[in-house]
Amino acid sequence: MKGAVIGIAGFSQDGIAAVGDTLIGALALEGYFAILSTQCGDPVRGGEASCRIRFGTTPVLNSGGVLDLAVVLDWRNFSLSSGELTVGPETVVIQDRKPGSGALGLPPGGFRPAATISAPISEIATRSGGKSLAKDSVVLGLLASWFGLPKRRILAGISSRYRAKDKTALTANERAFSAGVEFADRHPLGQDLKIDPCPARGAGRRVADGNELCARAALFAGCKFFAAYPIAPAGGITHFLQREIWKHGGTFLAAEDEIAAAAAAVGASYAGAKSMTATSGPGFSLQTEVLGLASAVELPLVCVNVQRGGPATGMPTTQEQADLFAAVFSAHGDNVRPVLAPTSVADTFDVTVEAFNIAEHYQTPVIVLTDRDLALSKAVLEPINPSQLNIIDRLEPTKAELRKYARFQLTEAGISPLSHPGMRGGSYLAAGVEHDERGIPTTSGDVHARMTRKRLNKLNPLKARRDLFLFEGDPDAHIGLVSWGNVSGIVREAVRIARAKGIKVKLLVPRLLYPVAEVVYEDFFASLMRCVVVEQSHQGQLHRLLKMWTTTPREFMSVSKSGANRISPHEVVKLIQAMEKPATERFRTHYCDLLNVI
Amino acid sequence: MISLDPDQRTPAKPCRRTAKEYANGLMPKWCPGCGDFGVLNAIYKALSAIGRPPHEIAFVSGVGCSSRIPEYTRAYGFNSLHGRALPIAQGIKMARPDLLVLVAGGDGDGFSIGGGHISHAIRRNTDLTYLVIDNQVMGQTGGQASPTAKNGSGTPVNPVLYALAYGAQFVAQGVAGDPGGLATLIEEAIRFPGFAFINIQSPCAAFGDPLMKALAPRTKIRKLEAEGHNSSNRLMAIELAEAYGNILYTGVFYRNPNPTPTFGALTEKLRRKPAISDLEAPA
Repeated sequence: MKGAVIGIAGFSQDGIAAVGDTLIGALALEGYFAILSTQCGDPVRGGEASCRIRFGTTPVLNSGGVLDLAVVLDWRNFSLSSGELTVGPETVVIQDRKPGSGALGLPPGGFRPAATISAPISEIATRSGGKSLAKDSVVLGLLASWFGLPKRRILAGISSRYRAKDKTALTANERAFSAGVEFADRHPLGQDLKIDPCPARGAGRRVADGNELCARAALFAGCKFFAAYPIAPAGGITHFLQREIWKHGGTFLAAEDEIAAAAAAVGASYAGAKSMTATSGPGFSLQTEVLGLASAVELPLVCVNVQRGGPATGMPTTQEQADLFAAVFSAHGDNVRPVLAPTSVADTFDVTVEAFNIAEHYQTPVIVLTDRDLALSKAVLEPINPSQLNIIDRLEPTKAELRKYARFQLTEAGISPLSHPGMRGGSYLAAGVEHDERGIPTTSGDVHARMTRKRLNKLNPLKARRDLFLFEGDPDAHIGLVSWGNVSGIVREAVRIARAKGIKVKLLVPRLLYPVAEVVYEDFFASLMRCVVVEQSHQGQLHRLLKMWTTTPREFMSVSKSGANRISPHEVVKLIQAMEKPATERFRTHYCDLLNVI
Repeated sequence: MISLDPDQRTPAKPCRRTAKEYANGLMPKWCPGCGDFGVLNAIYKALSAIGRPPHEIAFVSGVGCSSRIPEYTRAYGFNSLHGRALPIAQGIKMARPDLLVLVAGGDGDGFSIGGGHISHAIRRNTDLTYLVIDNQVMGQTGGQASPTAKNGSGTPVNPVLYALAYGAQFVAQGVAGDPGGLATLIEEAIRFPGFAFINIQSPCAAFGDPLMKALAPRTKIRKLEAEGHNSSNRLMAIELAEAYGNILYTGVFYRNPNPTPTFGALTEKLRRKPAISDLEAPA
């Protein structure tokens, strides 16, 4: 096999995350590509936990659809994770055979796997490890044997996890691993799941999740101030920066709420520091007043919103792409705030750097809309080439300009040199109330109109940034797709599969969501008869946004699933196949049936 | 840290300056007879005594009548959002510890919409001076009840007691009617190493509470120093603060004789560890 998708679910104390982390580390060192996605129902009280890992000899675009192999540590918790872990007719299921499990240990209704194999995982763990806490190592042993994975690297992973902690635990887990391997060797599977060896090692690759990459990108871009209030799933950004930013001469503030976090970041930006805050939906709602202020006083700010299910508290640990409207229409008043979205885990780095560049160049708040799956999925990444990334700093006034300084001077580009406290001659009032070119508050309608035009027009060059879009497929295709964020990785794979089947199709993935780059979309739409926007929100928010700003193709449809419901590449391939056929009835019914959405 | 202007690598040496050097000549937009004129003059005077050049001062405010104060100074001003002056000021001070950072605003701005931020500014002990211009009314919007208004609720917020209870290490009260005394207090507050809070009685000329108006003239105030109050006695300060609304004490209620380290001092040592490379490969 060239690649596989493995899913594991059980109780949150079963070491599910450890299995995933050890596997992806070993696979990366061996030269495989992989994406690991972990999920837990409730991180505090304990409950179901699951992970899925997709790996292969070629780059992996998403965490895949139906599982090739499912490891069920117990069926109750597996069922709770079934939205994440799809079991199909080709799936091989390994279930923990333990005393007292259901009749014959068979899966409950709804699961129709190719084979269900019982393995005494808990028993082996207790026997070799002395306690059942070594279940993760037993599972690693089973997988290493059945898939032919690099045992040496997995053992190294286990050892690095325990070395510093406890010698006894390390020995127990090493024994558990060997016992798992031994059991699997004695019980070969019906199907051959052996993975092809990797052709190349790939020097300099790393494993990281989107949150870590966002945080690292901030440091790389020169972020000197980060403030945040704890919230899932944005915690990873905070955990990284609260530890590391000091070493780069920066400051971290654990704010009392999200408003204070954003406000402090604006204060730091006023003082001359590149600054950022990170949150998720509920915190983002609170921060909108500060985003409005940053727009009014034209200060750079990067605001990361790691989307989760909403509204209100919503679904803190699940995926959704439903904050696009909230980002685009955040805060009151006549204003535009650029909204960017990474298109893959790796892209989170580039997009965050870009967000700083846009914020600093245009003196505006920039919203980075990442999402739970991008933020928490770990991926094997190619080395980042820093020489390809440009770092832009804000425009500061020259000495001559400081002699007659007007902070909000109307310039051709709408961008005025920005001073900061400490600069002699640069003093000005940053006022949230409307102000003239010198920053003096005003009630004049004329001045308000002029300043509004300045603040809006300065962002126009962004709409010509074709480099903020990914394009793939046949330029003259009649059918096309648009997708964004994490879902775009699924659609990209589907488009490749469809094209391999001989279907002419193309795909546009915006990293710049707002302002809407009309020209880029209309160029893309020019050859299209039919276009579908694939995304993960009930309303299909990008679809509606594009209808507001662009002239869309004749048939312009939305295929969207409400959050937490995985869209698989296979479903999108079926969609593309349906799009290709002439419409005998309204096309809408086709795709509704396909994806089972209304 | 962020570079200063090439010519100003280090802050200028403070020197005695005139109060005029801190005024920018704009005509304040306040009602005739408003106490804020007196507060503004006291601020000019205090700043001239401190002597930092205006461009090394960041003066932050929220929204309201008294939040216009920064607009009339030659400092870097930030007339921000209603209630958010404190977090913004902390961001400025944390990014640029060398600046002198002042915050001013009304009792509505501070104790109503911004109430949640005060306790945290106190607990972090960022080296700021926070001036609450307390007029017991929402003046700019037409005289609605503010959190310190007697007619607004059963137990109005007592700003002095509030700051003391949350552990503020410098707590004082002044009156707009005594700009000289107020200037001395502001100067002391700025010199205090850590978060310093001054409640300033400045009754609203248009909508002010008659009792507070009656208390505020210079002749009616009672100076804590003259009463023999020892400002290092926190418990006594709390007892005196209880008189808020009945007796108008001015002066320093409490000054911690052994101030705890500021946010800046506590975090400075975190910066000494070596940095990892941003693009470091996994081990």
